[in-house]
Order: sequence, then structure tokens, then C-alpha cells
Amino acid sequence: MATGGTPEAIARLVEQFNRLPGIGPKSAQRLAYHILRVGDEEAEALANAVLEVKRRIRLCSVCCYITEQDPCGYCTDDRRDQSLVCVVEQALDISAIERSGGYNGVYHVLHGVLNPMDGVGPEDLRFRELLARVQGGSVSEVIMATNPSLEGEATAMYAAKLLGPLGVRVTRLARGLPSGADLEYADDVTLLRALEGRQAV
Amino acid sequence: MAREARTFRAEGIVLRRRNVGEADSIFVVFGPELGKFEGVARGIRKSRSRMRGHLEPLTFSRFLLARGRTLDVFTQAETIRSFPRIGGDLERWAAASYYAQLVDRFTGEDAPHPELFELLFVALEALNDGSDPGSVSRYVEIHMLALAGFELQVDACAACSARLSPEETLLAPGAGGLVCRQCRPGAGVGRLVSVPAIKVLRYAARASLPQFTGLHIPGEVAEELQQALAGVIRYHLDRELPTARLARELSPGSNDPATPGADTL
Ligand SMILES: [Zn+2]
Ligand SMILES: [Zn+2]
Repeated sequence: MATGGTPEAIARLVEQFNRLPGIGPKSAQRLAYHILRVGDEEAEALANAVLEVKRRIRLCSVCCYITEQDPCGYCTDDRRDQSLVCVVEQALDISAIERSGGYNGVYHVLHGVLNPMDGVGPEDLRFRELLARVQGGSVSEVIMATNPSLEGEATAMYAAKLLGPLGVRVTRLARGLPSGADLEYADDVTLLRALEGRQAV
Repeated sequence: MAREARTFRAEGIVLRRRNVGEADSIFVVFGPELGKFEGVARGIRKSRSRMRGHLEPLTFSRFLLARGRTLDVFTQAETIRSFPRIGGDLERWAAASYYAQLVDRFTGEDAPHPELFELLFVALEALNDGSDPGSVSRYVEIHMLALAGFELQVDACAACSARLSPEETLLAPGAGGLVCRQCRPGAGVGRLVSVPAIKVLRYAARASLPQFTGLHIPGEVAEELQQALAGVIRYHLDRELPTARLARELSPGSNDPATPGADTL
């Protein structure tokens, strides 16, 4: 029973903000009280933007990248080499690779990395879609661009074990990337070198 | 009120990592003196972090932590022992992950458990030295159960202490081990195990890990033991651990993992 405590509507909003990644209880409270102070219009715009994203954005049925149109722009771009598939952990990693300017194939987003100790097994990642893509026969090489962490390496080995029997070439980014660091933070030159020097898993 | 020290030293094996925020990770560590503890490492996912590589799952490291309000913060990390062969082999990695998760599930926070630490450490060493992952796993399961207070009684009937005849015998986790024919009706769920499997269980209970991995276990006995012990662990933890399933799927005897999560389709 809340007597004289925080009004329930605010408590609810605080709780929602607190669930967001990187938002602690303090920041959640600050954000909620900020919303309370802004005009109705601004609050509505925020609410609509949130709903819009959920309504319009979906996962590409081919590569699992986030998109408004299915299949996504990468999967329908015929200037790209559609037989070369670069597998990344998260959608954000694609921007890092695109920024390096040295890659002209397409992508596949796993939406995570094997971390069974924290409850993420192969069935929680987009391996099924990747398998279907390779079984389709149009893929000649799969480049595993998962992060150079223990989990990233294991994910790459798992992909090699999964796809190897299908006769597709599975490669791994070269060791230019410092171990343990995320792709997202790699500089363009390092990333480019890692792409060029990829090796079979 | 006495002021607590603001920093403290600790060492242990990293059991798991969870990424939080932009570039932070929370690590759960199991140490010989502190037992299980956790802390956050700020900015560890950026390439410039000096701690990365030393704070990786399945690595034994020495740390300096600062007391935080909600979470302690890793400020320094230095590897004492890493197990490179585990990271380079999917089957060994899955087995090691399984042991880490077993430790995680069978322990509470801040309860020192040096024998359990020793078991995890020698198991990782054995995997890294090239021992058969299946044998190491069975040894870990049997001794993990014992250290967690669920020791399997395999020398006599777990219910009435009678001598066991050399025959196929029920292994009933609820009763605490093997049960004789007379006690079978009241022993609850279990699985019949063969005489060779019982011999292996008895040997595992008293052997060291290197002795045990030196023993050749025929394929069908290994398979039987894997299923029987998985049943006991499932009984105590109420579920099959995701790492147990992965380790099982990736062991050479099983089918290729060509259908990821097939049973959830
Ligand atoms: Zn696509
Ligand atoms: Zn009995």
C-alpha cells in the first residue's frame, strides 16, 4: 500500500524506463519526471515514435536485419554479391562494416551470440534462418564476423559445424581485432584488414 | 559503524558474463576463498579496455574490485591461468560451460566452497590437457552432486543399507542413490543401470580425475551413465540446464547440430 508515496502512474513509467538497457533506477526516475514536465505534444510524439517503430519495423525474412520492407535493402540490392554472407551478432555491427567501405556482400544478423551460461543457446539465435539460406544453394561463402570474445569464437565454430556439411565455405575475420573488444568499437582500418585476411574456420 | 575498505582483492574463475549498457559487462566469478561473487566492468567491450582478455568466462584471474553501492566494480584484472584449448574446441567449450553453470546453480552467493573450486579447476585443466570431455563431465557430475550435498549412495542400498546384488539396479535420485529390489517400489523415479555402469560410478567416487579419465569406458556404458546422471541432476535442479543440452548435442556420439532447437520447433 502506497500512502503518500510516488503516484502510481509515475511509478509505472519509472519502472518501464528502468527496464531499458543502460538505464538505472536513478536515470529512470529522472526521465519520468522529465516527461511529466514536457508539453502534451512532445509526450505524444515520443509515445507515437515508440509505437511506430514496433508497427513498421520488422525483421527481414532473409537476413533478419531490421527493415521497413521485406526483404530488406541489402537483400534486394543486385549490385551486391548475394552469394557472400557476412554473419554479425547485432544489427549495429552492419553499420561498422559498411563504414569501412570494403565489403560488397550481404549480411545475416544472429541477434546475439552463444552464451549458454547466461541462457542463450543456438535455438535463441537466428541460425535456423541462416541454415535455410545456405540450404537454398545460392550462398558460396559465410563470413563469421562475430566479436573476438570467447562467446563470439564459439558461435563461429558452431556455425562452421552447422554449415560445414552443406559444402559452403565458412570463414572467420582475421585476428586483427583485439580479443574481447566489440566489433562496434573497432576502427575502420582494423576492420578492413580483418575482413581481407579472413580464414577458414 | 566501521568503515569498510573501499577496494578489495579477489581471485576466481569467471563463470559467466552478461552485457549491460553501452560497453559494460557484469561478470559472475567463483573463487576459492570468496565463493561466488559478481561485479561490473565498465567499458570492457571497448578495444582500449586493459581488462579484456583477463575477464573472460572460463579464465582464472586475480582482481581488484571497488565497493559500489549496488554492484562492486572491477578495476584491475590479471590472468592467473587461461585454458586456450577450451576456447578453440566447440565440444570442450560446451563441456566447460556446463561445469560453470553447474557451479552457478549449485551454489549461493558469498558462500566459500574451496573443494568445489578445486573440482572446477581440475576439470578445466583436464579439458585443456586433452582428456575426453565425456569422462570429465561424468566425474564432475558425480563429485558436484556430492559437494552440493546430494552424494549418490552407490555401495549399498540407499534406502535400507542392504548389500546390493550384482545385477541391473535402480538409480533413484529421490532415494539418494542405488536401491535394492525390495526398496524399489517406494524409491520414486529413477533409471535402471547396468553392472558395468555401477562399477564406473563406484570407481569415479573414489578416484582422482586423472585416474578416472585414464579409464576406458565403452560407448554404450558412457551413454548410459550420461543419461542416468543427467536424470539425477535434472531431479535436483528441476530442469535440464541449457549448457547440459548443448554439451550433449555437441558430443561426437550425437547427431550433428543440423537442426538447432529442433525440439522447440
Ligand atoms: Zn535482408
Ligand atoms: Zn533396500
